[in-house]
Amino acid sequence: MKFIKNHLMFILPLMAILLGIEFYLVFERTTNSYEKGLKEGYSMLVVTHKPMELSKFQTLNEHISTSETIKREYIVFEVAKGISKSGSDEILAALPYFYNLGLDSYLHTSGLEKIKKDLEADANIKKVETFGSSYNSNYKLFSFIKLILKVFIVFMAVVSLFLIIKQMEIWKYAHKERMQVMEIFGAPMMLRSGVLFRVAFVDAIFATILVSALFFYIKFYWAAGSGIDIMMQNQEVLFELSDMGILLGSSVLIVVFAVYTVVFSSKGVQE
Amino acid sequence: MSNVIHASHLTLTYGKTGKEVIKDANFSIKKGEFVFITGPSGSGKSTLLKALYGKLTPSQGNLVVGGLDLANARPRKLQELRTHMGIIFQDYKLVNEWTVKKNVVLPLMIAGYDTEVQDTQAHRLLKHVKLPDHADKYPLELSGGEQQRVGVARALAKNPVVILADEPTGNLDDYSSNVIWDLMENACQQLDTTVLVVTHKIPTIFSLPYRHFIIESKGVYEVH
Repeated sequence: MKFIKNHLMFILPLMAILLGIEFYLVFERTTNSYEKGLKEGYSMLVVTHKPMELSKFQTLNEHISTSETIKREYIVFEVAKGISKSGSDEILAALPYFYNLGLDSYLHTSGLEKIKKDLEADANIKKVETFGSSYNSNYKLFSFIKLILKVFIVFMAVVSLFLIIKQMEIWKYAHKERMQVMEIFGAPMMLRSGVLFRVAFVDAIFATILVSALFFYIKFYWAAGSGIDIMMQNQEVLFELSDMGILLGSSVLIVVFAVYTVVFSSKGVQE
Repeated sequence: MSNVIHASHLTLTYGKTGKEVIKDANFSIKKGEFVFITGPSGSGKSTLLKALYGKLTPSQGNLVVGGLDLANARPRKLQELRTHMGIIFQDYKLVNEWTVKKNVVLPLMIAGYDTEVQDTQAHRLLKHVKLPDHADKYPLELSGGEQQRVGVARALAKNPVVILADEPTGNLDDYSSNVIWDLMENACQQLDTTVLVVTHKIPTIFSLPYRHFIIESKGVYEVH
């Protein structure tokens, strides 16, 4: 019982840190894909006196990535119903040119204002409509969710770190006597800390396997049947095999740091 | 005969206050000698012993043990030196979560001997310290005297060049004390091991010739 308790006291906080890391990875991938969706769904309307090429727009602002010409004939067709051919030709000649401009990233509203200002500085551009208000509310909601999750992850990591420090104190108490005796008899550091390293590495591997298993379950079983759109749409990015490497690497780093701290702090104690 | 321990103008300070415990001490101990160091409580006997196994660095002067200048020794060299020492403590310093056998073979384990050699040596040593049936017990299952005999067996495990003992019979009954003195005398006589014992009182029944140093008023003096 004591054996299991001792292991769990390190595995659980380590798992919490690994969950934080994995949440962060998944969150980054999910938000990137969501951000991409928002970015692709967004375009600003630009009205010009004369036709303009994408390269010309891009010289005015580097965030402009695509340009789509809105066919003037459709507009004339809609507004000139019942008008004679010569009349509609006159309307067409008098109409300015319309473009939908796409951006390379999801920008803050101040970024949109900057683009608007840059475009309006060109004499050929008559009008720019950024649809700022709906864009702004989307952006704020998105940023808020991003911030909340990051705060949660940081909070979880800090709490877990304190638990690990607590466990390090327990390790120090449990292993100090043996390590000091071994040191007196000339044991090298790796031999002195061998038991502790073994215990900690086993815990690190367990924690990695448990967290990976949890995310495998979420990806292949829970997400598919959850009925939550964002989960179902982003099922592929929920867990990747490379994440296991990242998790194992992180847990090994934490273990090495924790064990070395315990070993070095046990060294100076007087016998 | 060569000096195993040589101190010249040795000064030792202790604790955060840097209080001088031993000042300007000069002495030499040769291979195979049996040495008692006595002195009143707090005179610095144990401090000197700590300096001899490198737990405390001399603040001034030189302290050479087994050819290694402890004032400037690198940790790796110090570690190597300790593998040639057998150290006995008044409070035994056994690893309580290990069996008696594992405690005894610790120096062999550190030296990388295989388990077969370790087992044979453990059996021989435990018989030697009159604890042949205690190999699989844990230290806390033994009496103080028995624990100290395990400590002595551990100190002798690798036939050390030097044995350093800090009040080895301080809290023990007569039987265990006699066994321990016998073991140390034998090591000195038969294996030519240098034995240095810090004690309050030199045992009355002691058959070997020995040297006696006394620590008083920060000085280390030989009693002739």
